[in-house]
Amino acid sequence: MKLRIARSREGGTITHYDLYKIELRKGMTILDALFQIQDKMDPSLSFRYSCRGAVCGSCSMLINKEPRLACRTQVSEVQGLAMNLKRFPALTDTPPGWNPEDEILIEPLPNMPVEKDLVVDMTRFYRALETMKLWIDPEEGEEAHLQSPSDRKKIERYVNCILCAICYGSCPVNAEQVEYLGPASLTKALRFAEDSRVMNPERYLESANALNGVSLCDLVMNCVKACPKGVAPGGAIRTMKNP
Amino acid sequence: MLTITQHKHDLLIIGAGLSGLRVAIQLAKDFDVAVITKVHPLRSHSVAAQGGINASIGEGDSWESHAFDTVKGADYLADQDVAEILAKEAPRAVIENERWGTAFSRTEDGKIAQRPFGGAAFPRTCYAADRTGHNLLHTTFEQALRCGVKFYNEWFVTSLVKNEGRICGLTALEIASGEIHSFIGKSVIVATGGFGRVYGHSTNAVINTGDGCALAFRIGAPLKDMEFVQFHPTTLYGSSILMSEGARGEGGYLVNSEGLRFMDKYAPEKMELAPRDIVARAIRTEINEGRGIEGEYVHLDLRHLGREKILERLPGIRDISIYFAGVDPIDEPIPIKPGQHYSMGGVHTNKNGATPIAGLYSVGEAACMSVHGANRLGGNSLLETLVFGRIVGEKIGEYLPTAPEPSSECVEDDAFRVREKLQEIMLKESGESPYEIREVMGTTMDSLVGVYRREADLKVALSMIKELKERFKNIFLGHSDKRYNYSLIRILELENMLDLAEVITMGALMRRESRGAHWRLDYPVRDDNNFLKHSLFTKIDDYVKTEFIDVNLGMFEVKERTY
Repeated sequence: MKLRIARSREGGTITHYDLYKIELRKGMTILDALFQIQDKMDPSLSFRYSCRGAVCGSCSMLINKEPRLACRTQVSEVQGLAMNLKRFPALTDTPPGWNPEDEILIEPLPNMPVEKDLVVDMTRFYRALETMKLWIDPEEGEEAHLQSPSDRKKIERYVNCILCAICYGSCPVNAEQVEYLGPASLTKALRFAEDSRVMNPERYLESANALNGVSLCDLVMNCVKACPKGVAPGGAIRTMKNP
Repeated sequence: MLTITQHKHDLLIIGAGLSGLRVAIQLAKDFDVAVITKVHPLRSHSVAAQGGINASIGEGDSWESHAFDTVKGADYLADQDVAEILAKEAPRAVIENERWGTAFSRTEDGKIAQRPFGGAAFPRTCYAADRTGHNLLHTTFEQALRCGVKFYNEWFVTSLVKNEGRICGLTALEIASGEIHSFIGKSVIVATGGFGRVYGHSTNAVINTGDGCALAFRIGAPLKDMEFVQFHPTTLYGSSILMSEGARGEGGYLVNSEGLRFMDKYAPEKMELAPRDIVARAIRTEINEGRGIEGEYVHLDLRHLGREKILERLPGIRDISIYFAGVDPIDEPIPIKPGQHYSMGGVHTNKNGATPIAGLYSVGEAACMSVHGANRLGGNSLLETLVFGRIVGEKIGEYLPTAPEPSSECVEDDAFRVREKLQEIMLKESGESPYEIREVMGTTMDSLVGVYRREADLKVALSMIKELKERFKNIFLGHSDKRYNYSLIRILELENMLDLAEVITMGALMRRESRGAHWRLDYPVRDDNNFLKHSLFTKIDDYVKTEFIDVNLGMFEVKERTY
């Protein structure tokens, strides 16, 4: 098996693609393959990683033109996968020479500036958490809240978000409008607004309804298809569009 | 460049997992706090904790019972005054995080749900499905953002610096630029987590390389109880990803190649819910005696729990099984075997997190207070981070106003030294492969310093590690760039791990008894007369001084440990 990997030494744009032949092992993930390349062939290859168990959200990247967690993607299965995303240039433009038959194409997650190789600048993605104040404003008290299992269930889907930014990288609106807050932070706003324990739900809805918020979403639903955790951000955004 | 960029804060917290964040939250209002972390905080390994967090909030439960279970689970090596604090403060820590927004699973009447866990007399483990660490870390990070904590994300700390016996700062590599900077601070907190990646088979994140422990060790802070390494009974065969103890807490069975539940032979009363050291040895014994499946693993069988319970309580376990082993636990048993999971040992501190070096503190898995002794109970590690994050924060808050102002030049020399060292590594044209050294270290520790240990193996392991350390001096990075040089980071991590591997093995050799997670085939009984002691390791120039120090006993009498 071969991996064709986007390279960018100085960041900014992809300057070229390098082709590597990997030694395939049973159960090997794309992340394992990247480590094999870094260890044995090319120590200059840069990519983010941490848990290798699909819970930390570090290793989001474009794999065969689809945004995925490298650690949760089996090398042997990549070619049979299809998300059927609505297309935009980062998902359609392919490098010359790529042979999808026996090469897996690895590129940085779209919609964020490239820092180096597969490492992208996630500042805008993280900044929304702060500008929207996506946290609880604690009140005095020494008891745990009560919350019924059904009330908890209302937010479960949303609290499963790992902030991997795959939704952000899959979104055609984020591709065109850098100011768009993006699916993950908007969904997190609903997570707080719908939490039965929260005293001021309006504050979160207001932050999601900012000019660069839910109104910019075209309900394309790429985020729903691409999310590795079943969070379905598009559904949350639809709820906020039509309260 | 002839100058080194300098930063200055009151205190420098290394690591942005639950421990580091909780300390930061405690102090952000009153002091200039900086958190320096090699990954974005949300990528810290706390996120991967699954099963839950212990607190005696259930009816009929008590802090005394929790403390007793902790001390017995620790095979009586925990300091009892520290275990008491852990158990007493547990409800407050859990409630605090609930009020910050953590979405704990709930009982029908809306209370925080609790499940049974290994070695516990009550169902005491609060949980958010099987994603408890993920929920707690995201919530705690949100609160750190709210408090305006200053983060240096993706910075790798390269050395700690002390001056006249007192900590004064550190040097760190900005991963994005490849530049070494100096940081001045009155206090430094090591909250870098465990060092599981010293082993080849570990549940730990790739980043768990014990950097803070090695850095503290190098400036003379002692390490403690390093031989006590927890092997989790149930890690996924192949990738070693954690399969939560919650799976057994919810009623899962362990089954050998003969299709039999075997825990009755090892812990007739507690069965699958015996503490981890006991269950890990049981599985290892089944495999060693020929009752492993394909000679390699046993089954964790959840099928009898039914689809609904699996989907509600163990959705993460199911996902991991499907994606990483191709097995849906609703229909098939999960192949598992024991793997390294937790570091009971760490930086020697008192119950306030203070080390013998003034101003240097440690907390969480990186530290050894010691609250887990020879074996940690499931559900106590998340708890340790939040309870002691707050307490250590309070103590540092008392220390800071009394601490002298460090001179702004105190880190300069070390920053130049580190920069030159990295340049040398970058410029080398040939030498040893870091990958090979890492692999040999991992297989050596797995096979010779694992669940079962004996003197001959440990001696071989020690000489192997020493040889690897020699080879490391000639390490070859290869052609790479200055910016985002993760291969360089992995070399620096390897250097840290080699130091720790050596100390772990030394500790395992000198402890000629079996206690908790440390099992010596040649000394298969606990020996309280000689070894009811903490081991302590202090680096003095080029050698490691070893000694034993007393355990703080107290309310619980030291007894035989059966389950």
